[in-house]
Amino acid sequence: MACARRLVTRYLFVVTAVAAVFEAGVAAAQGAPLAPEYAAPALMDSRLVVWVAAQLHLDFAAFVLAVPMFALVIEFFGWRMAKHDAAAATRYDWLAHEMARLLPAAYSLTAITGALLGFILFSAYPRFMGYLTNTFGPTFVVYPLFFVAETLCLYFWYYAWDRLQGDRKWAHLVLGLFLNIFGTIVMFIADAWATFMMTPTGVDHQGALVSLYDAVWNPGWMPLNIHRLIANITFGALLCAAYAAYRFLSARTENERALYDWMGYTGNLIALFTMLFLPFAGYYFGFELFAFSATYGVTLMGGVLSWLFIIQAIVIAILFIGAAYYAWLGLLRIPGSEPQRRWIPAFNVILILGFMVWATPHTMAASIEESTGQFHPLLGALGLMAPKMIAVTLVLVVLYVSYLLYRRAGKVLTVPWARTGTIVEWGLVGLTAFAITALGVYGYFAPADVRIATSIWQIVVLIAGIVVTFVLDLLLLRGSRTVAEVRWGSMPRRGQYVLVTLAFVIVWLMGLMGYARSGARLNWHVFGIVQDTSASAGLPTLGEAAIMVTLITVVFFALLAIAFAISAMAERGAPPRLAPGTREPAATSEGVRT
Amino acid sequence: MNADTQSRNRFSVPLPVGALLVVVLVFVMLKLIRPVIPQSVILLYMGFVVLGVVIHLTLDDDRIRRFWNFFVRAGDEGPVLRAQRWALLAVLPLVAGWWAYDAVRPRYTPPVEIFQRHPTVGEEVLGRIQVPEWAANPAKWRAEDIAEGKKLYAANCAVCHGEKLDGNGPAAAGFRYPIRPADFRDVGTIAQLTMRYVYWRMTTGGIQNQFNSPMPRWVASADGPQVSTLHSYDFTPEEGWKVIIYLYRATGYEPRKEELRDYKSH
Repeated sequence: MACARRLVTRYLFVVTAVAAVFEAGVAAAQGAPLAPEYAAPALMDSRLVVWVAAQLHLDFAAFVLAVPMFALVIEFFGWRMAKHDAAAATRYDWLAHEMARLLPAAYSLTAITGALLGFILFSAYPRFMGYLTNTFGPTFVVYPLFFVAETLCLYFWYYAWDRLQGDRKWAHLVLGLFLNIFGTIVMFIADAWATFMMTPTGVDHQGALVSLYDAVWNPGWMPLNIHRLIANITFGALLCAAYAAYRFLSARTENERALYDWMGYTGNLIALFTMLFLPFAGYYFGFELFAFSATYGVTLMGGVLSWLFIIQAIVIAILFIGAAYYAWLGLLRIPGSEPQRRWIPAFNVILILGFMVWATPHTMAASIEESTGQFHPLLGALGLMAPKMIAVTLVLVVLYVSYLLYRRAGKVLTVPWARTGTIVEWGLVGLTAFAITALGVYGYFAPADVRIATSIWQIVVLIAGIVVTFVLDLLLLRGSRTVAEVRWGSMPRRGQYVLVTLAFVIVWLMGLMGYARSGARLNWHVFGIVQDTSASAGLPTLGEAAIMVTLITVVFFALLAIAFAISAMAERGAPPRLAPGTREPAATSEGVRT
Repeated sequence: MNADTQSRNRFSVPLPVGALLVVVLVFVMLKLIRPVIPQSVILLYMGFVVLGVVIHLTLDDDRIRRFWNFFVRAGDEGPVLRAQRWALLAVLPLVAGWWAYDAVRPRYTPPVEIFQRHPTVGEEVLGRIQVPEWAANPAKWRAEDIAEGKKLYAANCAVCHGEKLDGNGPAAAGFRYPIRPADFRDVGTIAQLTMRYVYWRMTTGGIQNQFNSPMPRWVASADGPQVSTLHSYDFTPEEGWKVIIYLYRATGYEPRKEELRDYKSH
């Protein structure tokens, strides 16, 4: 009963918030021709307020969109195991529920920050929002409907978890599936508005709508959809991993520590897997921007935002190195993993060298004594896209190989062709690395458009290499003998601090790139069509942007902590999801042992 | 004698000393490269190196133990080990001290500038520039236009940008900070840019703007009295485009395409 009341209260709250903004939007749109161009409703710089509200909304939205995706997959695995291993099924179900634990409170915060964003946008930029409403009218009607549907699914999915067990589990999974479908549609609709502002099509040169279809499916739309889908999962997984790290560090029993160690490992693994594709999704988005207008190319890579991308490169490097370090530490859980650990120092060197190239600026900040006035003959070459693509793609190969070694740890291959298979597998990995390097070298000397196309081929080669070798690895490990169990809970504490750091880094990075995406338009609300003529149309400096992004990150974590405290209060008194004495998740390196 | 002490007395470089050697070695190598690598880049690189070293030292608990044990005196340790410990304990604070001193000591050089190679220009400015039909398609460039561009370049631009387009003209040495005249053969200059952007850069210059470049404006005074200043030179638009197509043809680069796709309605 209490559960139902909670569900109804939260549902009504979220729906009311969305309805209020929607109503305000329509009203603003109706009065748009008479509205002033700009207003300062909060007696503050409207842009700063919009910035904070938009980024906070995006942070929470990313979390609530991503977590149900992998939580549903984990829940599905648990359901499939139920028939032959009830204990494993219970553990998987616990993991999915634990990852979803923060969702209800985070969802409320998504709605609050979304409502705040909508309110500020419509009141501070009435004419521009009027234009957007007139252009995207039908989508403004459809959006709240899907949002309401998503809200319903989310609260039922979460609060009906215990009721829809056993024979009714399939209904719970279907609910989760609809939650993900509706959530994705909501994001895709909002992405259409955001990308139309960057790469507007479907309108004439005066901005009058010609085709709503083209306005929605503008050149930046699908790349941003893909980029956000992947990045959201990385984001959500790392936040779940950080939550697990906190619970690991404060665990009072071995069983609890083992469970949260497993949760942290799973979160990091999901993040690492999606991070493999993230740079390429970013390049795809960048490619479409460049293809739309060469001005974006200059602004982002050679002009005012070029130094931001050096900061981005450093932050991404920290993210990858941190995730890799955690994964390497994970080998300590497996007794007898020394043969695999032998390789780690070499991987470490490749990773560091790769990221040194990745972060090398093309134009360097030099003093008058250091400056030659030209590009540096050696390092200047490393600052271009082609060497950076080689470096980052090879780094991804190394990360993937680390994962392959993790899978081998504590195992003895039993297939008769084990030796040949292993040689072929490593040969294919080497061939992948060689092909990536060769393509990069070719791209370095090619014209810009060919170079960008070459970088896409590098991604194709990497993905093909991963798919082929992974299938081979699956066959090699079939029927293998496990000689050492994974000792969950034995992960060093420093690994947990790494997870917390990674969560902070990914939120900060998302804030930074939010600024870059928005700032790339320069003084345009809609690039090339609706100019920003307000007093704050200029770009803030990098320093100011960094302070704002840090502030937003801190506020986000403060709000998330509140959400966590609320969810912890709600859980108090609830029966433990794993009864005391439940066997810790004894597992092989492939995951939980079944 | 326990195993730990045995390993301490074996002929091997202790972990902390090895770590310091790696850091020092990389630092010295970076410092030896000529032309010099700016301090800002060395700092960036060394950050990664130190991170890598920290990861290496903490990959397992045994390494951490060996690292800290190096600083703990053992009764049966040899003089070599003791000397290394004392050397390390002396070197680390000295380096930190020098670093602090170097950061605050008075200097007479101007602060380091974060220079943008390609100044950002708004679409509303670039949008006003139209590439003439005869110059827009590299396949249709006429030899006589390129030849005239070459002549104009030799007479006006080569003094700074060089006969070979390598940025090494006779006057180039006079400009050093923050940038020398562009080397058009470098893949990072015109090869990255559209013709409209290059035209804007040529006609806007830098000496009277915020772009930190001594480049004058190559624009005809007849185009508007507001652009005719001390630092502007007479180039008609047609002459300007001819110079640009010469640059591309002489370097072998194609101008960057404006839009790579055919977009509907815009």
